Amino acid sequence: MKVEEVVLPGVGRKYTVTVGSGDRIVIVVHSSGKRELQYFEAREDEEPSAALDLTDEEARELGAILAGVLFHPEAVGDTQSKLGQKVIEWIRVLPGSQLAGRRVGELPLPQGAHLLAVDRPGAPLIPNPDPETVLEVGDTLVVAGTREAVEALKRSL
Amino acid sequence: MHPSVEAFALTAGLLALGAALVHRFGFPPLPIYLLTGLWVGGALPVEDLEPLPSLGLLLLLFSVGLEFGPDRLRSLSGKAVRAGFYDGLALPVGFFLGLMAGLDWRGAALLAGVIYVSSSAVIVKLIIDLRRAANPESEVVLGVSVLEDLVVLVLLALLGGQGLSGFLLSLFLATAYLASARLLGPGLVRFMESLSDELVLLLGAAFTTGTALLFQAAGASVGLGAFLAGTLAAALGLRERLERLFGPVRDLGVALFFLVVGAGARDLFQGLTPAVVVLALLGLLVKLPLNHLGGTRAGLSRKRGLYSALYLVPRGEFNLVLGALAQAQGYPLVAQVAVLLVLVSIPLGALLIRFAPDIGRWLYPKGQRAKPAQAKAP
Repeated sequence: MKVEEVVLPGVGRKYTVTVGSGDRIVIVVHSSGKRELQYFEAREDEEPSAALDLTDEEARELGAILAGVLFHPEAVGDTQSKLGQKVIEWIRVLPGSQLAGRRVGELPLPQGAHLLAVDRPGAPLIPNPDPETVLEVGDTLVVAGTREAVEALKRSL
Repeated sequence: MHPSVEAFALTAGLLALGAALVHRFGFPPLPIYLLTGLWVGGALPVEDLEPLPSLGLLLLLFSVGLEFGPDRLRSLSGKAVRAGFYDGLALPVGFFLGLMAGLDWRGAALLAGVIYVSSSAVIVKLIIDLRRAANPESEVVLGVSVLEDLVVLVLLALLGGQGLSGFLLSLFLATAYLASARLLGPGLVRFMESLSDELVLLLGAAFTTGTALLFQAAGASVGLGAFLAGTLAAALGLRERLERLFGPVRDLGVALFFLVVGAGARDLFQGLTPAVVVLALLGLLVKLPLNHLGGTRAGLSRKRGLYSALYLVPRGEFNLVLGALAQAQGYPLVAQVAVLLVLVSIPLGALLIRFAPDIGRWLYPKGQRAKPAQAKAP
């Protein structure tokens, strides 16, 4: 892939991206945030086959999809991964948290929420931690369950 | 209530009406401002609008300096420089035309500038409004605009001052601004970033108008001052911020400014001589083949080369600055040509750019399309 960058004074920047097949995409990023896209088929440099205008927000979302960042329109938290109606959540034990120093057995796990693992920095992952494990600041709890149960747990902490 | 409020409400309403009309047909609104002024200018209290139109021109030149300053030279491609070389041939042609019209060397040089410089501000606005930014010719045209503005900058510094002391002072001020942009700019970028938007807006406004006044006091061109203020602001890393902060104010001022230019042109038409019309027409025509040639030499196809020549038709801000200078220095002929060129070239240029694809299809039908000319150094 070949990328060529040109400054368009007063307009913004223009990127010409030529991919392996010889097809080209011309992207103009306006100073205003607008993006203009033109698609040229290989060996055709006169008229674009297609053109598309994007707002700044649309361009960023498209970019995230292209970059392979999984896109969750229904996501609730930042670090959730979707398993049908079930969710997985990563919860950090922050300094000053009421979780620090408590045993796993004392965790107020609601019905339907399960502690899968404790990830302690600099130590091997503790899968299926036993109730006597004591939580430390910096641990990350990996919790799975129904969305309501996981949300309830997050609220109670 | 101050009478300016009434005048402002009336003109802004008229301009909005005009803009709404042309938007329906996919035309850019700029020519309509000029034509509105030309049409109803006599009935409008345009003097009451001041200082908004004057500020509009200053801010316009400021943002041209912001975007088309000498620091853009580094990012210019060889293509644009080749096209700019052929474009620059309009200067000697214009100078020769001036001598033929009986002007002395100073007047001829002013006329050469008037014929040579296209309006980067108008072209950028047309390119954005008509969604041509991604096209290959836009890159060449905008590069050529950077070179043109730089040449006119030198021309204004050379011709701006009256007499030897005015000339030296004008040259000194221009050099001082460019040097401080180069030397002080990079060191102050971090500091400017820490300032709030409010402060940047006010500082920018004070700086632009203050510089213009300083240049006027020195007997140099006010327009040159505003342009250099923009160049300095760009070196301070304020390009995007000032563009965002000043944009709406500038657009409003520019709309009113073009209306006032249109209104002022009514008097011009009363004193119109054949010499003015012929010079303006020649000025329009001489650049077309030069820019077409330059475009193809820059590696564009013949069709795209033609587009690039059409894009460079509009004349604007610098024509009016040069025209005001010519008027002040006793060359009313040059001033009239400058204003007539603006008046004709903006609506004409907007039409030509709008219909460039149709003109191209008509002149160069598909099938017998020429191969892009091999890029050769001039």
